[in-house]
Amino acid sequence: MNIEELASEYVVGTLPLEQRAEVEQRLKHDADLRAAVDAWEQRLLPLTALAEPVTPSQHLWRRIQHTLAEPATRVPWWNLLAVWRGLAAAGLAASVVLATLLLIRPPLAEPSFVVVLVAPQSQAPGWVIQASNNQQIQLIPLGVMQVPADKALQFWTKGDGWQGPVSLGLVKPGQTLSVPLDQLPPLTQNQLFELTLEDSRGSPTGKPTGPIQAIGRAVKVL
Amino acid sequence: MFDYEACLRACARGDQQALRHLYEQESSRLLGVALRIVRDKALAEDTVHDAFIRIWRGAAGFDPGRGSARGWVYSVTRHQALNAVRRTARDVPLSEAHEPLAEPDDTFEFPARSGQIHTCLERLDPARRRCILHAYVDGYSHSEIAQVLGTPLGTVKAWIKRSLAALRECMT
Repeated sequence: MNIEELASEYVVGTLPLEQRAEVEQRLKHDADLRAAVDAWEQRLLPLTALAEPVTPSQHLWRRIQHTLAEPATRVPWWNLLAVWRGLAAAGLAASVVLATLLLIRPPLAEPSFVVVLVAPQSQAPGWVIQASNNQQIQLIPLGVMQVPADKALQFWTKGDGWQGPVSLGLVKPGQTLSVPLDQLPPLTQNQLFELTLEDSRGSPTGKPTGPIQAIGRAVKVL
Repeated sequence: MFDYEACLRACARGDQQALRHLYEQESSRLLGVALRIVRDKALAEDTVHDAFIRIWRGAAGFDPGRGSARGWVYSVTRHQALNAVRRTARDVPLSEAHEPLAEPDDTFEFPARSGQIHTCLERLDPARRRCILHAYVDGYSHSEIAQVLGTPLGTVKAWIKRSLAALRECMT
């Protein structure tokens, strides 16, 4: 696809997500592509008038104001490419840990999903999650993680297509935790789990704000 | 007349009142644009929220040499909506979500509009014109357009590619 085609398909909207992301990366340094995209934006702009205006709900402006009042937030972790790259490597760690678990433990009550949570930088496995049904999971520590006295570990999950992560509560280092999932959709393959370091009472915003301590995805166990 | 460029300059200086004015001026139109693409009111409001945050934070980097300030505001919102809809991959079948689209080509009140883009669009074959409009206005992917039009995917891709080239030709 030449620059002109790429720019036109980007602006008209028909590129798939991966290609859209590539274009958006390229736009930062590729002046030719930028010029082509700008020209297409201007050509097609009048078509935005074909969408009927819709009055926003009353609290939308307050939400915007509220966000602006927050200290400049960092990019949420679920939008960080490095995290997703790291998760690929985590798959390898997962298989090692699972193999070990299979060897050293008596057969468990057939967990249908297993997650290995690894440290994002070192990929060192820190926790294992197992679910013997779709409604309850166990978070099992593989060691004792050091947590500063005024901080707490908060446990999160996010399924494909969810708007953002949902809190599963606070976790004490070194302790096995059972979490009911009855308020959430059933567990699915690839569902994301993670632990972040938050204030001692948990994240003030209801979304993860602190650094990720461990992260992994659900794998179905046959 | 609302001065979009002055508004963005004021935002860049940290004047929240300017962003508020932009919101009063454009939020319902921007929400309309986003809603056509994401087709869920809550997600559309999230999109407009995110767009206003991006406008606020990006105002200082806006370059009037690259196009109109108003156009930039719309582009930020549309691309935010397109990314959101591509990311979530619609789970509602199109036929249920958007019945009227199965109708013939008068979905887009065509003749009432003026301007170069409309003149040039009118020169396209109606089915090809609908491809462009479904893509731009409704945020449909190639396969969604193929589904709605009942036309093979490869044909839709070729039509869009050629129609965009024809539009560019017509508009220069």
